[in-house]
Amino acid sequence: MPVIEIKDVSKLYGFGDATTLALDEVDLVIEEGEFVAIMGPSGCGKSTLMNLIGLLDRPTHGDYHLNGRKVSRLRPNHAAKIRRDTIGFIFQSFNLLPKLTALENVALPLTYKNISLTKRLKMASNILERVGMKDREYYLPSQLSGGQVQCAAIARALVNNPKLIIADEPTGNLDSTGSRLVMELLSEVHRMGNTILFVTHNPELTRYATRVVYMHDGTIVQDEQTAIGQVASTAKKALYKTAPTSEEDDLAGVSALMKAVPSTPSKRTSKPTAKKNRKPNKTTKKAKAKR
Amino acid sequence: MKTLSRGNFKAAWKSVRRNRGRSFLTMLGIIIGVASVVSVVSIGEGVKRQVTMQINHVGSDLITVRAGQLSTSANGRLSVLSGVHVSGSLSDKDLSSVRQTATGATVVPLAVVGGAVTGEHGAYQDGPVIATSTNLPSVLNQSTAFGTFFTGDDDQNNVAVLGAQAARRMFDEEVPLGHTFGFRGKEFMVRGVLNDFTTTPLSTDVDFNNAIYIPYAMGQQLTDNSTLPYEILVKPADASKADKTVDAIRSGLLKNHGDSSDFSVLKQSQTQATTDGVLSLLTELIAGAAAISLLVGGIGIMNITLVSVTERMHEVGIRKAVGATNRQILNEFMAEAVVLSVGGGVIGIIIAGIIDVVLRLTTTLAPVMQWQAVVIAAGISILIGVVFGSAPALKAARKDPITALRGE
Repeated sequence: MPVIEIKDVSKLYGFGDATTLALDEVDLVIEEGEFVAIMGPSGCGKSTLMNLIGLLDRPTHGDYHLNGRKVSRLRPNHAAKIRRDTIGFIFQSFNLLPKLTALENVALPLTYKNISLTKRLKMASNILERVGMKDREYYLPSQLSGGQVQCAAIARALVNNPKLIIADEPTGNLDSTGSRLVMELLSEVHRMGNTILFVTHNPELTRYATRVVYMHDGTIVQDEQTAIGQVASTAKKALYKTAPTSEEDDLAGVSALMKAVPSTPSKRTSKPTAKKNRKPNKTTKKAKAKR
Repeated sequence: MKTLSRGNFKAAWKSVRRNRGRSFLTMLGIIIGVASVVSVVSIGEGVKRQVTMQINHVGSDLITVRAGQLSTSANGRLSVLSGVHVSGSLSDKDLSSVRQTATGATVVPLAVVGGAVTGEHGAYQDGPVIATSTNLPSVLNQSTAFGTFFTGDDDQNNVAVLGAQAARRMFDEEVPLGHTFGFRGKEFMVRGVLNDFTTTPLSTDVDFNNAIYIPYAMGQQLTDNSTLPYEILVKPADASKADKTVDAIRSGLLKNHGDSSDFSVLKQSQTQATTDGVLSLLTELIAGAAAISLLVGGIGIMNITLVSVTERMHEVGIRKAVGATNRQILNEFMAEAVVLSVGGGVIGIIIAGIIDVVLRLTTTLAPVMQWQAVVIAAGISILIGVVFGSAPALKAARKDPITALRGE
């Protein structure tokens, strides 16, 4: 049974003329134990997809099954409980509470589970030890380096022992040392049997993943399995074989990296309706960029 | 988990302490409201008890005859307007009528004699000159501190008895016996000094402690019989006959006044009901005005909770992302509002206590803090926290996690 099963999921923002299609009938199945990297240009719907999978948001259309259970139309409180018990979320901006110590931050999800204070802090302390932050338990987030803060955030995501970890650009605000620290930690978590989804812009980081999903304008355009330690082939193209941006591309506002990603969906059979939807969507996005 | 937990309050207390200045300013409305409501109610209660004490001292069977009518309406409250503005007066004819009808009772007229008093240290203007009869001390249960009250033989003599306060003010001495003062062209000799009368705050009565007492006949003589009694005190020989005596006096006076009841005959118990009525009304009025500041304070709390919610929207998002339910978020903010309002309530009650002590020490008032008033004030402050905290707290609780994470 797949952990995540997404079928024809769409997400629309706004009304009438201003409607933006953030996700366009996306299908995605993720099996247990996969380490999935999600790539794509800014605004392609990666974060929206992460928020939907993390139950922070609800799809406008389509079905989402988490661990075989339909969760696309849950009440907010019910979704909160599932988030608490089965999903760990890691953010690009860390999102630790600035006034709480690392230990208290890690213990936060347990607070909402009615676990006693001493037990809470003990569990949090154990997790912090696992991520190598034992000696910084009583530091405030402002007293830690970016990599350390993200490690504490990972500890917070792990504290409820969730099967699924979702990381939305976990290394986006970190330097290379911090990035390596965070990614090594995530791959260790993966080795323990957790399913991990992470969004990244850095092709280098696909080395850690077992599967790479490329998105473009709200759809999944390519989905490839890679071996751990190898940079995914499409990403490699972007890394090493990027042709210099031609004058024509420059005028059109298309970057070399965008061109490197194949624009036709490989897995799914393309539907004419979907294509029709995509075109106006592009124009709205350009309008947005101009603003 | 349906209710606020201890953890919520601990966190709320921490957050209130962190913004100490802001929290105190927010509480100020509640503090002022609770302090003023509680102290007004306790002052009212204190005055009521003082009046009761005085009436018990004089004896509840004392009958007072006055000009004008003080009516009490059916619900026991005094209708002030109809009471105060009905005019009328008592005459010497009334006095003799009362003397005739109240058989076996002691009758004491009280009349204010106008005119300037010249003491040893110049004019004395702090109190009136009251012409009264020899029985005043026995009727009011009052004794003389020094000397004696005038007797029946003194009707034609220029003698006077002073209230304790008047003695001190006029002669700068505790025992000014034998000293003289001038009044309406005659010299009066001080014959005695009365003990302090029990205090009567807010009373419409003449201040007995500052008054100078002269024989009734003397007063009449000084003014060519034009002095009219403003009040006649009647003490029945037997307390059980009080009601009968009241009826007798009333029917006698009705005849004199041509059947119009522009006078009142009240027993002390009725007088008490009247003053209690006035005091309750006053207390309620002022407490009501003070309660408005509770409302304003509540709005202050709503405002600050709203600010707190807006400031911490991102935090709400994080908490929701890690699995807080709507109710858990709601409880966190509610706890903060309740901590603010209850804190304000407690400080307000403490301040009311301080006000009570200060009033007791510096004035003749003796406020009595009632536990009911304290409980109600505390209850109201909790209620304010819940009512005014709920709107902003609900706003935070219902926020979509994604929207909250974006920070608005």
